[in-house]
Amino acid sequence: MIKTWELDPEFKYEIMKESGGEHLTACFQCSTCTLGCPLTEIIPTYNPRKIIQMSLLGMRNEVLTNPDLWVCLICQTCTARCPQDVRIADLLGAIRRIAEREEEAGKLKIESVRPSFDKAFMHQIQKYGRLYDMGLAMEYYREKEGSFFKGMMTMSKDYKKFGMRLFKKGKMGVKSMFPVKVKDREVMKKIFEHMEAEKG
Amino acid sequence: MSNRKYGYYPGCPSESTAIEQDMSVKAVFEKLGVELEELEDWNCCGAAEVEDPEIVYALNARNLAIAEKKGVNIMTPCSICYYNLERSNKALKGSEELRAKIRGIDDSLAYNGGVEVKHVLDVLVNDIGIEELSGKIEKKVNVKVAPYYGCYIGRPPLTAFDDPDAPVLMDQLIEAIGGEAVPFDYRKAKCCGGPLMMTMQDIAFKMARDVLEGAKNAGADCIALACPLCGMMLDAKQEDIEEAFGIKIGLPVLYITQLLGLALGIDASKLGLNKNVVDTKPILGKVV
Ligand code: SF4
Ligand code: SF4
Repeated sequence: MIKTWELDPEFKYEIMKESGGEHLTACFQCSTCTLGCPLTEIIPTYNPRKIIQMSLLGMRNEVLTNPDLWVCLICQTCTARCPQDVRIADLLGAIRRIAEREEEAGKLKIESVRPSFDKAFMHQIQKYGRLYDMGLAMEYYREKEGSFFKGMMTMSKDYKKFGMRLFKKGKMGVKSMFPVKVKDREVMKKIFEHMEAEKG
Repeated sequence: MSNRKYGYYPGCPSESTAIEQDMSVKAVFEKLGVELEELEDWNCCGAAEVEDPEIVYALNARNLAIAEKKGVNIMTPCSICYYNLERSNKALKGSEELRAKIRGIDDSLAYNGGVEVKHVLDVLVNDIGIEELSGKIEKKVNVKVAPYYGCYIGRPPLTAFDDPDAPVLMDQLIEAIGGEAVPFDYRKAKCCGGPLMMTMQDIAFKMARDVLEGAKNAGADCIALACPLCGMMLDAKQEDIEEAFGIKIGLPVLYITQLLGLALGIDASKLGLNKNVVDTKPILGKVV
């Protein structure tokens, strides 16, 4: 049920200020996005059109805490088909970034491990300039499981067969234990620091 | 004749999980006499995990600036790298304000908009061309192939270089090498589930299962692809997917450049065909 007194009329502008969220108000609710989304075959209730409608209405809290935000594959099917060029895949990303900032500010809790994965990934780029698979996995499992030890236990279980398979093909050898680093790592740090500072 | 030299952006998986893609791209271009010069000290494009477009633009401004200084256009074999490089290129070319802002972070991010970015599939079919390729074919790769394009080749519209629903570029290559592209309907361009591999494995596996079973039911001998994340899901994880659903797939998964390389008469080991996780020997047997 919609509680009109809880609606935030500013929410749509908040999204539209975010890079990728600019086209929100062009949506005329035709549902093409939802009908073509491959996730709906697996999760029948998954509905990007509804997230957009709720955003337009100003249901800020419901939108920002919606776990479906974190399931999107960013496959761009919706964006390609939308007759109004709403660019839903980017739009959902814009909403996710608002949710992450709200979580960092202690205002809500995101029920998904995906933000920790994305963060762990970004840390690798920030540190090395390239993706360091092992570093990513270690950081992600540590965050997901709550401690380094538990993380390592779960990781070695998950990776047992898969890792062996890659090892046999020479894709996960001693070399992959160490990160490949770009020479100019200072600029990587600068990029992330600058952008973070700007977003406050 | 088109430009015969490209700045090569291999992408992070090129040294590990997708080493066979990197090997086959290099071998094919060498054979075709098209020079690839690896962009010196390139950095990660941001993949699907860096969500803030401005960080993606800044990361790729550096890659684009490296190419610009060398006076080369960029070619990459990874669909996600392509998407990030090209959307950054478009954004930066289109806005002096954005260029100035990013240049302000560091001098190495100063990019003036003088570079083009292309995916390897685009370069092969549209720059080099089927005609030239056909003239250099030495062997018939007599296989039935499910051409799997995934995301970022036909969409989003901003960066797409093939049809969003019925892409054709890979089909043309398959025909040129003497293979047969099996009807692979909407699955051609359906997402493999890769972005959820680490965080929601059950959903990722269901997505990949549909693609794998679709290819098998269409009578394919193998799947051809053009993105390392698809390779990870469909090849490296194939056994896990079989186990999760109690099914048997056993379908070799090759990069399109590996198949093309075989047709060009390049040695299988140079194409990294022993690096694919699902055994590719059944395919080698069909090269005549
Ligand atoms: S396809 Fe576009 S216009 Fe239609 S409901 Fe989705 S976002 Fe709105
Ligand atoms: S980008 Fe997300 S919402 Fe859009 S079709 Fe793909 S999975 Fe669905």
